[in-house]
Amino acid sequence: MKPVQLFCWHFMAYPYLDKDFDKKESSGWVTVPNRLWDNTRSRGLYQEYIDQLAYADQLGFDGMVLNEHHQNIYGLMPSPNIIAAALTQKTSRGKIVILGNLLPLHLNPMRVAEEYAMLDQMSNGRLIAGFAPGGGPETFNYDVPSANTREKFWEAADLIVRSWTEDGPFAHEGRYFPLRYVNLWPKPLQKPFPPVWIPGSRSPSTMTEVAKRGYCYFLSSRSHGGETHRAQQEFAAVLEKHGDRYHPFRFGILMSTYVAETDRQAREECEEGVWYFLKNCLKGHLRREGRQLTYGPGVPYIPAAAWREYLKGYTPGRKLLGDVENWEELDASQSIIVGSAETVTRRIQSLIEKAKVGNLLIQFQLGNMPDRLARKSMKLFADQVAPALRHASLKQFTEEYAGFDLEASAAEALH
Amino acid sequence: MSGAVVEVRGRQVQISESGSGDPLLYLHGFADVHSVKEGWLPFHEKLAEHARLIAPAHPGCARTGENKDIDTIEDVVFHYLEVLDALNLARFDLIGTCVGGWIAAEIAVRHPEKVRRLVLIGAAGLFVEGALIGDVFMMAQPEFGFSYASLREMLFSNANHPDALDMFPDGKGELEDEVRRYQMLRFSSRIGFKPPYFYNYALRNRLHRISSPTQIIWGENDKFVPRSHGETYADLIAEAELKIISGAGHNVHVERPEQTAKVILGFLND
Repeated sequence: MKPVQLFCWHFMAYPYLDKDFDKKESSGWVTVPNRLWDNTRSRGLYQEYIDQLAYADQLGFDGMVLNEHHQNIYGLMPSPNIIAAALTQKTSRGKIVILGNLLPLHLNPMRVAEEYAMLDQMSNGRLIAGFAPGGGPETFNYDVPSANTREKFWEAADLIVRSWTEDGPFAHEGRYFPLRYVNLWPKPLQKPFPPVWIPGSRSPSTMTEVAKRGYCYFLSSRSHGGETHRAQQEFAAVLEKHGDRYHPFRFGILMSTYVAETDRQAREECEEGVWYFLKNCLKGHLRREGRQLTYGPGVPYIPAAAWREYLKGYTPGRKLLGDVENWEELDASQSIIVGSAETVTRRIQSLIEKAKVGNLLIQFQLGNMPDRLARKSMKLFADQVAPALRHASLKQFTEEYAGFDLEASAAEALH
Repeated sequence: MSGAVVEVRGRQVQISESGSGDPLLYLHGFADVHSVKEGWLPFHEKLAEHARLIAPAHPGCARTGENKDIDTIEDVVFHYLEVLDALNLARFDLIGTCVGGWIAAEIAVRHPEKVRRLVLIGAAGLFVEGALIGDVFMMAQPEFGFSYASLREMLFSNANHPDALDMFPDGKGELEDEVRRYQMLRFSSRIGFKPPYFYNYALRNRLHRISSPTQIIWGENDKFVPRSHGETYADLIAEAELKIISGAGHNVHVERPEQTAKVILGFLND
């Protein structure tokens, strides 16, 4: 058994928006005017963000997480693979998690297979390969018709893994990506292939497809009330149905944190970055203000029957994470956990206990948070929070999953 | 109105039918039978007084089964050729609104002999430079989590038109109506989400093949399929006439049901 795996996730937000952005602009996504890009101030921004990730590696985090977004201020990584390539040269220890490449946006999935194989070789086998279908904004950015996104996605994912594991050349006779000569050079370093993570938002069909293939499920929700625990139970049930057994490392969640010397200091230091993130970066994504593009009838990627089920529990105009109006509401959402090392440890530990989650993907830099504060928080976390979490989770997992051969299970899951 | 689900080569197709007389095939758009309501709108009832009105629901809409193999308008045309055969419709009058108008035009250029008279209402399908068809999908994402005002604004002369409010209400409407609207968006995303956006570039060079008398009807203030598309259809179809309904938006059959039905019936019985 191993302790909870702690990853540092960087979204690479655009941090130079004016204070009146929220008042003036209706969205931070897709149509957010790119005249707001300040070329002078942005010089060196990628370097700063890459260095923060390299710092996470030095601090002993288990890995670094990147993801793909387009035409937005939330995350400046249209190609996370480029950042990952930089990290292969700047880091030497932690996993490089790309969560993930948005497969339906790529004309040919082999491009992803090739780049991931290169990254796995360049990082000496540190790649965790995420595949994602993309959400609403991406369908608008890249004109991906929603109705067949899921099928295209799974065909692409399966082709990539096949190209990693089966000797070429072979012909892929697919519905969406037929290819006569699949013959991957280079092959990935990890055998049988790099771990595959797939994000989902509790849709039973995604959990089923993930379970069938033995991959790791990543819950893409940013809030962690009872739903996180329910998602874990649902996924565990799906795994059992497929003759598999849940263990904490089949599951991952995204959360944000800020750690400082005291609770009060933590809040004071991070508040500007937090509100910048909530009100600007989430506008168009997880805010009802303006036009939310992430899901809805205009991006109809789930079948009508699933939409009917979704609607039954849906309240129009309900608050999303970015709609919180005060610190207390934010606190209750369990999305951004702020406080002293002691407070943060206690709260995250209780989350791990309930959700039995083995992969914590943690965002430290929020919105326009300055480099100095992001680094200070990361260091306090690494020095004062991580050891306690590791200790407690190892004890918990060992007890709860007694007799469970993790190595065998992992190997089996991959084959 | 009788509604039947018939099986066409292994697929369920819902077909609503009313009236008697010559067959009149009706292909629906967004604010229409099957896409917002289960039953006829007043406009359809007027038509059914004078003809045998036959309105199939598009693949994936209402109770017509979804067809995952639909990628292009060509696939939709072939779906309808099968439906026509199943219904024994060899020659008929054909009306299409909006996306249905596009399908109607595509059927007519391929099989002019099947179409006795053709009516296109606010029809999508053409590429007209400088007059892009609107993004109904973006507008279908509610503002403030509940408001469909900009969708109504695009599809009608104004967002507060009573029929617009009835068909695309804010918040959550009746569950089955919500599902119906979703189904229509999901179907049409297959042929209109990615470029070409609700058009077939090749269609304009094929329109000369339409030999039937054709009535084009357009709302003066159509904000979804701009009026210049109606003018282009009228220019390129040999025997076409364009009727502009003044003051109306995209869905003239909803906003001006009597006037629109009168134009159509006058044309069909001419």
